[in-house]
Amino acid sequence: MEPFKHPGFYRVGRWFDLRRRKAGMWAYALNRITGIGLVVYLYLHLVVLSLLLGGPGSWNAFVSLARSPLVLVLDVILFAGALIHGLNGVRVALTSFSRGVRVQKGFFSVVMVVTVVTLAFVALKVFGG
Amino acid sequence: MDNPFAQEPRASSSWLWQVITGIGLLFLLGLHLVAQHFLVKGGLRDYAEVVTYLRNPLVLVLEVLFLVCVTTHAMLGVRAILQDFGLSARVEQRLSRGLTGVGILTVAYSLLLLWVIIH
Repeated sequence: MEPFKHPGFYRVGRWFDLRRRKAGMWAYALNRITGIGLVVYLYLHLVVLSLLLGGPGSWNAFVSLARSPLVLVLDVILFAGALIHGLNGVRVALTSFSRGVRVQKGFFSVVMVVTVVTLAFVALKVFGG
Repeated sequence: MDNPFAQEPRASSSWLWQVITGIGLLFLLGLHLVAQHFLVKGGLRDYAEVVTYLRNPLVLVLEVLFLVCVTTHAMLGVRAILQDFGLSARVEQRLSRGLTGVGILTVAYSLLLLWVIIH
């Protein structure tokens, strides 16, 4: 069997297939994709925190860089990922324990609305000081 | 296309831990973000402020708890994603061992980092 025709690759490939999506598939794909992003960020964060080992000079130089507009935009994107993953995770956990199965699509819409509203507040806080 | 949540997550001990650490993270990550970034002028502490902050025993305990929760949740999440590839039982067992090792190394390195910063 050719490696990319393996059923496993087909299943993972479906995360990125945007055709004929239903709310459940959007939620599933978003949870997986934000999860991967957050794991990458976890290790990036550890690398950045390692700058503290270099003493005040290296850390304070990073703090100046981290206050630049580009990094602040990345912070807001990161926050969006964490919010979607966290709130959607609550929905998945409840569903897996047979709670709110009938209203899970509505729950997903609520998750997205809460994410957008909270993100707008956070963006104002981050860029407004 | 069927909703994949209809087939998963499976009711297993690893899924239960995923949920427990996830609930813990809702509180600990929220606390971490507010205390480390939102309450600090400019969003980040300078070196001296970081050291003072981490020397507070309550903060240290909460940060270590956060570290353990986030690493466990991340490793279980990576495992769940890789299981989507339809791994054999043998490969899955090796994967679990490998991810446990990565998780332990991550926590150990982070604790070392904390120790050096505090001292």
